[in-house]
Amino acid sequence: MGIVSNIKNNPGRLMSGNGKRSVGFHTPTTPVEKILALLSRYREASILVVAILLVIYFQIGSDGQFLTSQFLSVVLRDTGRLGLIAIAEVMLMITGEIDLSVSSVFSFAPYAMVLMANSLGVPLVLAAIISLVMGVLVGVLNGVVTVRFRVPSLITTVGTLFLFQGLVVWINDSQPIVAPIQEPFNAFFGQNLFQPNDSLLSWHSVTAFTPFLWTLAAVVIIALVLNRTTFGLHTIATGSNIVGAREIGVRTDRIKIYNFMLAGGLAAFAGIINTVQFSSADPQAGSPFLTLQAIAAAVIGGTSLLGGSGTVVGALIGAFVVATLNNGLVMVGAQATVSDIYLGAAILGAMILNVQVNRLRARRRI
Amino acid sequence: MLHNTISPPLSNDAPVVLEMSHVSKSFGAVTALVDVSVKLRKGEVLALVGDNGAGKSTLIKVLSGYHKPDAGTITSKGRPVRFQSPRDARAEGIETVYQDLALIGDLSIYHNMFIGREYHKRVLGMRMLDNDRMRGMAEEYLSTLGINIPNVNSTVDRLSGGQRQCVAVARSIYSSPSVLILDEPLAALGVRESAHVLGLVQKLRREREVSIILIVHNYSQIFEVCDRINFLHSGEIVLDAATSDITEEELTRTVKSGLGRLLRPEERAVPMAATP
Ligand SMILES: Nc1ncnc2c1ncn2[C@@H]1O[C@H](COP(=O)(O)OP(=O)(O)O)[C@@H](O)[C@H]1O
Ligand SMILES: [Mg+2]
Repeated sequence: MGIVSNIKNNPGRLMSGNGKRSVGFHTPTTPVEKILALLSRYREASILVVAILLVIYFQIGSDGQFLTSQFLSVVLRDTGRLGLIAIAEVMLMITGEIDLSVSSVFSFAPYAMVLMANSLGVPLVLAAIISLVMGVLVGVLNGVVTVRFRVPSLITTVGTLFLFQGLVVWINDSQPIVAPIQEPFNAFFGQNLFQPNDSLLSWHSVTAFTPFLWTLAAVVIIALVLNRTTFGLHTIATGSNIVGAREIGVRTDRIKIYNFMLAGGLAAFAGIINTVQFSSADPQAGSPFLTLQAIAAAVIGGTSLLGGSGTVVGALIGAFVVATLNNGLVMVGAQATVSDIYLGAAILGAMILNVQVNRLRARRRI
Repeated sequence: MLHNTISPPLSNDAPVVLEMSHVSKSFGAVTALVDVSVKLRKGEVLALVGDNGAGKSTLIKVLSGYHKPDAGTITSKGRPVRFQSPRDARAEGIETVYQDLALIGDLSIYHNMFIGREYHKRVLGMRMLDNDRMRGMAEEYLSTLGINIPNVNSTVDRLSGGQRQCVAVARSIYSSPSVLILDEPLAALGVRESAHVLGLVQKLRREREVSIILIVHNYSQIFEVCDRINFLHSGEIVLDAATSDITEEELTRTVKSGLGRLLRPEERAVPMAATP
């Protein structure tokens, strides 16, 4: 046989046989190259740096008020809410799709849950499960319309966004309804029992962070699913090269539908936690702005809008950055609306950096 | 070199392993295949030739389960089959190297090798990818094939065109298929690598009686490794001949004539330009 490989004996040499060295993998030498190499290797690295810098900035700017359990429970609550939706968008964006209807499910599912509990006497746990299933079914609708009827998901989900937002407002004349409290359901899913003089090592301090802890669990699970299961592999394949994936036997339509279902379920879950937190189901709880912030979190976290690659851990850190900007700027005395300016700039900056790092990677192969 | 070994001519009564009968396929207004019938016998290397746009890729995509035929049937090992997806064809032992290679740029080489056939392990009762196993097997297999790949962990989009083609070929033969379909597998390969892949084709056919459909544009390569030639012209099979019954020159003239049929003996004798 003509060409002999010696990968094992000679791991340092990339090409074998004729003694030529491969040009493929340039070893970074200068500090700038090293940093760029790190950034391109770990997509989460750049957003993590941003997050740490923001925390330091606000901690100093607020005279040490940022890193208190009181304030962090607010930031992390928002992080949790955004994060759940952001990881749903990450999975869909990896397949090359997007879901703009998540905010309507975020309003619709918990509203249905509370209505079932209040008017039909369904136990909250059961009502929560039923409304989760409803969220998943919205995902089925989004997925089927997108893959079977070939409507771009951007359009499909704008349609279902108005449809379900309209439904939830219509059901009860856009009236918020008070959610019942049934322990341990409420304590478990986000009712904040923490008092300023409670010990940090008490159960009450855990409840201060439950929304975030649920999100953290979801991130760990989805990250494992994405990186360690056949489903995750096929999700990446679908977005990276849909024709090739089909040719090799990946059922790309199903993969997309499953990811829409996941998004619907996660949005419902986020909505339920939010409702439990505020003890009230508001038909306007989720605005499209929430979806856009979640997409922003995913994108600044390192997920490509082009499909094929993404990171849920990055999205969680991205959600933290967005939540920190929203709350931190207010705390240091800025107007609430100013945070949008920073967020907008952050998105543009992150995108420019991503594109540049990718170009560098393609050119220099760092 | 393997391909220098002359294989005995294939007997005409070897069993047919894969057959398409009267298959037609259109894409909207474009008719890609018209009433096409193709037979592939056990241990045979069948060359599919034809101009660009003749329908070669469409034909093999019907066999590989990617396209569903508008009309006609497919028979595998004597049984009629209806492939819903390439997954079904792969389960039937039909592996395909597509013209576009069907590699996933964002995935590692070893994931590409095993996609659709992943190995799993149980972690806390859950079915997780057995990445270590797949990595090790891919590394070992690629090196026994003598395929020159830097590192099975690197993503496919970092590979050169030739390396990609090698990975795609390696993936297709890894599972010991009974039918192997290769759509222009030599396009990005150099002389040495082409010879290597053609050598592999001959070896598979000789040692494992794999039946192979090969789309190649270089006629000398066809005459080197193929038993039979099917010539596709505007979606129709216009010539089905054993390589022993036709010369390379005759084939070249037939294809060049653009007539879409084999030239009659008197036509062959007269130079094209002099034909009245
Ligand atoms: N997916 C498709 N959609 C529309 N037309 C197609 C598609 N695939 C192939 N065709 C058309 O079918 C004809 C045959 O194409 P193809 O099978 O790729 O030819 P070949 O492989 O012989 O070059 C061409 O006219 C091509 O444009
Ligand atoms: Mg072709």
